[in-house]
Amino acid sequence: MKLLQNSNTPIYRQIAEQLKEDILAGRLKEGTYLPSIRELAKDLRVSVITTMKAYEELASEGLVTAVQGKGFFVNAQDTEMLKEQHLRKVEDALTEAIRFSEAAGLTDKELVSTLKTLQELRMQGQ
Amino acid sequence: MEIKRVVEAHNLYKKLGRFELNVGELRIPQGFATALIGENGAGKTTLLNILAGIRLDAKGGINWFCGTTDIDKGNTRERIGYTGPGHYYLPGWNTRQIRKVSELLFDNFHADRFEDWCKRMSIDTDGFRKDGKPVSKLSDGNRMKLMLAGVLARDTELLILDEPASPLDPVMRDELNNILREYLAGGEESRPRSVFFSTHNIADMESVTDYAIILAHGKIVEEGFVEDLKEKYVLVKGEPDSAEAAKGILYSFSGTGSYGYEGMCLAADVDRLAGMNVSLETPTLTQISVAVMKKHGRPAA
Repeated sequence: MKLLQNSNTPIYRQIAEQLKEDILAGRLKEGTYLPSIRELAKDLRVSVITTMKAYEELASEGLVTAVQGKGFFVNAQDTEMLKEQHLRKVEDALTEAIRFSEAAGLTDKELVSTLKTLQELRMQGQ
Repeated sequence: MEIKRVVEAHNLYKKLGRFELNVGELRIPQGFATALIGENGAGKTTLLNILAGIRLDAKGGINWFCGTTDIDKGNTRERIGYTGPGHYYLPGWNTRQIRKVSELLFDNFHADRFEDWCKRMSIDTDGFRKDGKPVSKLSDGNRMKLMLAGVLARDTELLILDEPASPLDPVMRDELNNILREYLAGGEESRPRSVFFSTHNIADMESVTDYAIILAHGKIVEEGFVEDLKEKYVLVKGEPDSAEAAKGILYSFSGTGSYGYEGMCLAADVDRLAGMNVSLETPTLTQISVAVMKKHGRPAA
């Protein structure tokens, strides 16, 4: 896990984001326990409250569940929610693209055709 | 998640000459590392000595391990490991004698673990020889490491460390953070481990600090989990033209040269900076501590 000390994203959120990616990509499987907060803090060389806050964030998003005395385990991820999560990322990225296109003075048509061209290039690449 | 307290104290009071320690409510979370931060003379050592049972003449009530109010009852003292600026090993002792004395003094001292720690912190490199170097010939840093090895070799549930980082070199200070994280991770569900340490140089210990208690002239002036404190305060940097307007809003303020100013703002007041040309950042614990300590500067003599 890569953590940036001087990023504007707090460390706990960086940890939560990376674990979230692992869960959504299926690298952390349903039902497995995450390392204990103190074990993870030791490995990542961060404070315990930092890892605890990261896990609480994942729990609040419904990705993991806390079990008293046992720790946090990965929930079953329903595919609808997965799709929803990804859709939100797509929307964020496209909103960013729209902002740049406005700054560059692109027309709607030009913007859409850029998207299509990129899709085609990607298809060819695969 | 419900958090228990490894030490809780009410109305602690101790007068020493002109100095008064006056702590209404003290709560040290169990299973975490708590830093006691303050300027020299703020009362850190006095408070630690009271909690470690070294100073028994303070007024007020203390509860250790959610159970006992008397440190001399049962095995309470065995469950606590303490290191401080005074060296409690006799100057003539070498590591071999310290190992022997510690085995006699404590039920929970593991000689093999003591040797491992001495090796890991490279204190004793001559294999506990009979004519090994005495404590008096060790540097301050090595003496501190020796005391740490002594407490880490015991099965404890609470470490009370008075300025553990001060005499250590930068590499060892970093290692101390790792060691404390390992200590916390080594606790069990039924016997969680906690650390309470003082420091006047918080930057050295920032990466291990979970909870911070800031002390100024004998009183607690701020405390909280570090992540919460980082949301309570915002670091503000601005151009000189907005300095005067910002001054009235900021919690603390410094520098009005031609390059602008810097200050700490309570997150609750950030909205009032709207329209000013300022940049906002998440402060470090060091920056928060300095701002709080400045705000609560010494009372007029």
